[in-house]
Amino acid sequence: MLSIPIERFTLDNGLRVNLSHDATTPVVAVNLWYGVGSRNEREGKTGFAHLFEHMMFQGSEHVPKNRHFELIERAGGSLNATTWFDRTNYFETVPSHHLELALWLESDRMGWMLPAMTQEKLDNQRDVVMNEKRQRYDNQPYGDWDEWIQAMVFPKSHPYHHTVIGSMADIEAATLEDVAEFFQTYYVPNNAVLTVCGDFARDEALDLIERHFGGIPRGGEIPPIPGEPDLDPVIGGTVRERVEAEVPLPRVLIASRVPTYTSDDFYAADLAGSVLGSGRASRLYRSLVRERRVAKDVVSFVLPLTSGAGMLLVWATGFPDGDPAELEAALVEEIDGLASVTDQELERAVALTETALVRQIEQVGERADLVSMFDQLFDDPERLNGELDRLRAVTPSELSTFVEGFLGPDNRAVLTYVPEPTNTPTPSAP
Amino acid sequence: MSAPSRSTVPPPGAVRSFDFPPVQAGALDNGLEIRSVQVGRLPVVTALVVLDAGEGLLDDSRGGLSVLTGDCLEGGTEKRSGVELAEALETIGAGLSIGTGWDSTTVSLSCMADRLDEAMSLLAEVIIQPSFPDEEVERIRGQRVAAIRQREMDPVGIATTASHRLTYAEGVPYGRPLGGTVESVGPFSRDAAAGFVAARYRPKGSGVVLVGDVDAGQVRSLVETHFGDWTGETELGPEIDAQPRTRERRIVVVDRADAVQSEIRIGHVGQARSTPHYFPLRILNTVLGGAFTSRLNLNLREEHGFTYGVRSRFMVRRGAGPWCVTAAVGTEVTADAVREAVTEITTLVAEGPTEEEVGAARDYLAGVFPLQLETTGQIAARIAELLIYGLPDDYYVGYRDRIRSVTLEEAHEAARQCIRPDEMTVVVGGDAEEIQGPLEELGWAPVTVEAAP
Repeated sequence: MLSIPIERFTLDNGLRVNLSHDATTPVVAVNLWYGVGSRNEREGKTGFAHLFEHMMFQGSEHVPKNRHFELIERAGGSLNATTWFDRTNYFETVPSHHLELALWLESDRMGWMLPAMTQEKLDNQRDVVMNEKRQRYDNQPYGDWDEWIQAMVFPKSHPYHHTVIGSMADIEAATLEDVAEFFQTYYVPNNAVLTVCGDFARDEALDLIERHFGGIPRGGEIPPIPGEPDLDPVIGGTVRERVEAEVPLPRVLIASRVPTYTSDDFYAADLAGSVLGSGRASRLYRSLVRERRVAKDVVSFVLPLTSGAGMLLVWATGFPDGDPAELEAALVEEIDGLASVTDQELERAVALTETALVRQIEQVGERADLVSMFDQLFDDPERLNGELDRLRAVTPSELSTFVEGFLGPDNRAVLTYVPEPTNTPTPSAP
Repeated sequence: MSAPSRSTVPPPGAVRSFDFPPVQAGALDNGLEIRSVQVGRLPVVTALVVLDAGEGLLDDSRGGLSVLTGDCLEGGTEKRSGVELAEALETIGAGLSIGTGWDSTTVSLSCMADRLDEAMSLLAEVIIQPSFPDEEVERIRGQRVAAIRQREMDPVGIATTASHRLTYAEGVPYGRPLGGTVESVGPFSRDAAAGFVAARYRPKGSGVVLVGDVDAGQVRSLVETHFGDWTGETELGPEIDAQPRTRERRIVVVDRADAVQSEIRIGHVGQARSTPHYFPLRILNTVLGGAFTSRLNLNLREEHGFTYGVRSRFMVRRGAGPWCVTAAVGTEVTADAVREAVTEITTLVAEGPTEEEVGAARDYLAGVFPLQLETTGQIAARIAELLIYGLPDDYYVGYRDRIRSVTLEEAHEAARQCIRPDEMTVVVGGDAEEIQGPLEELGWAPVTVEAAP
């Protein structure tokens, strides 16, 4: 169905390179996926992959602090980076005549980052990251949900047991030696994918890539993921936690292990998540929000992870005086009911996904990111073009098989938030 | 191949020109405006209807009526129930999105180009024939009340709500939360929604925007077919006299015991969309807090590590929207962060930006313009803005030139006219026990403490 053009190359140092041309708008995206994320962190070093991502913006041998941002903003570009379980990505979208600038900046920090590292920069970014954690997790109602859920779904020995943001104590303990070791281990061309997408001249782009990245030496073998990534396919029971917190409304979350993104069975899981919670005709919205009115909002999504298991997660937020047990029962009823789905439901789920995917790839930055992802995770960037077909091929009976195998009571983590008694809104006097 | 000299910044290549894609304009006999842009890269279309039905039309007693009416469009139409409507839309891969702001209500969807006729039919049905069943209206009102309760316990919601309330004089709509209060949404009913639609969802005063894989001829015929029988017009809304609550400096702490961070808001009444300083102000704000390399962010984040990020925004509307600097900072550095932010603002107004900063801001804003116009949704939203603010169809043609022509003196004048450091209100949502003393020691303004809602 999709026909995004993709050309793939590999440099002598192992850097995988993808070019995807589209000159509709005179902009070009440069996107790098490094095969390192929070799953690579050792005990006592949680949150380090993300802190390291911040350090990548603190300059490199030929680029002083703040200069990366200044140059890209002055060029009229946008830039950022994100850290996730299985990878860290860095990206710029720039007006097309600034392609070389973006390549130069990315190559300088891939090849020449360490000479620019100082204790002062590390101290500064530790403070920034600790404030990021406070802002996005600690000072947010329900902000610690992923910490709970990951610890309930994945055992202590598993690399997904801890969150990407990590613990304050570990962030605080990070040293410059950690930065150097991490860089030398993981930030090597043979552990990265570079995608250039948008308006560029093919031969010129290839030449620039070779010129800027070609001289960076290949690194060593990437060490195995620490801990025990292999897992039973299911949790082995229903585990529960109840959290009294400074939240206004009760919320119940249910998470299950599902097949990894790299497994053929993943697409049934993805579709199950959509039938449950995508759109207002979805089962959870229709039942819990519209008909029973026990939930103010419902959410459902699948995390496409690759080590051992992924995760399907649903949640429902209740009303101020709502009963969390009733919410949980309603969620479970809809999960159980998924064992039988109609063709129309699958049709809707695929149609919504199709529109969402096409809208996503309208932006060259998003398209580049998907190409990098399919290369990094599947060794097959072209896989992007067949993704919708894989989803469309799932049959109702395959979905039932998935639901029976993965969404039963032997594979549930149930997390319940209830408002702290003092914070329950009291009925106001007339 | 020659080894590159890594020490020099690579020069730019040949510039490829960028023009905002041509906007086709027209109107139906019933007064409905039509705008379209053909972008054929991918087989997708974004369709939106922009209605002169914003929250700014409403006095405080009816706050939230426009938002709630928009929310209730999903309740169904004269032809189908809410469930049937959702099924019809989602079968063609189109999710309905309803955005209500101070100046407009926008009903939009995106779909694959081959489903556009069905999508337009449903879009028209939702806007022209909403049915507002009582039980759906009551459900959605209940959800809104719960959302307001959530906002009242959310650190960001608490600080933002207090900041807007303390910025505007009593009775100015912009001083209340966009979605209203528990009190103001209390009387919402089917009749209120239907009455609002009868008054404000009318073809004359509204516009349809279609962007994507569709040509102007198809656009005309689709709009004619699905919106041709719609009738009526909207009256002009009242002008908003956006008076400030005070012209004195002050610091107000909204107390949240044991908060691990402080949510800081610094600002005062800002500017309307029609401000003559619009372009200089965009440059000025970029220097102050509109980019990563802005003065505020380089100071508070990259030098001091007080925050994950700080931003300054002028929220321009039909009336004068707020100007607000926003940051979440560690509790123990709250007063230091306020001091640094106030100093940066005061210095910028007094001394003006440098030529280097103005040049960088011009390059940034002119350069990112095409990056913000990659998708059919982004282009459609830009065109909707033209309709909302009565700007000409060719407005974006000279947009980058106008950015590039802003001078240092114009940017400095915009600072002097639009930022008044002696009239700023600082709101800090945080732990009063920890931060009140240090804030008083700054000696910048009197400090008062109020309880969180």
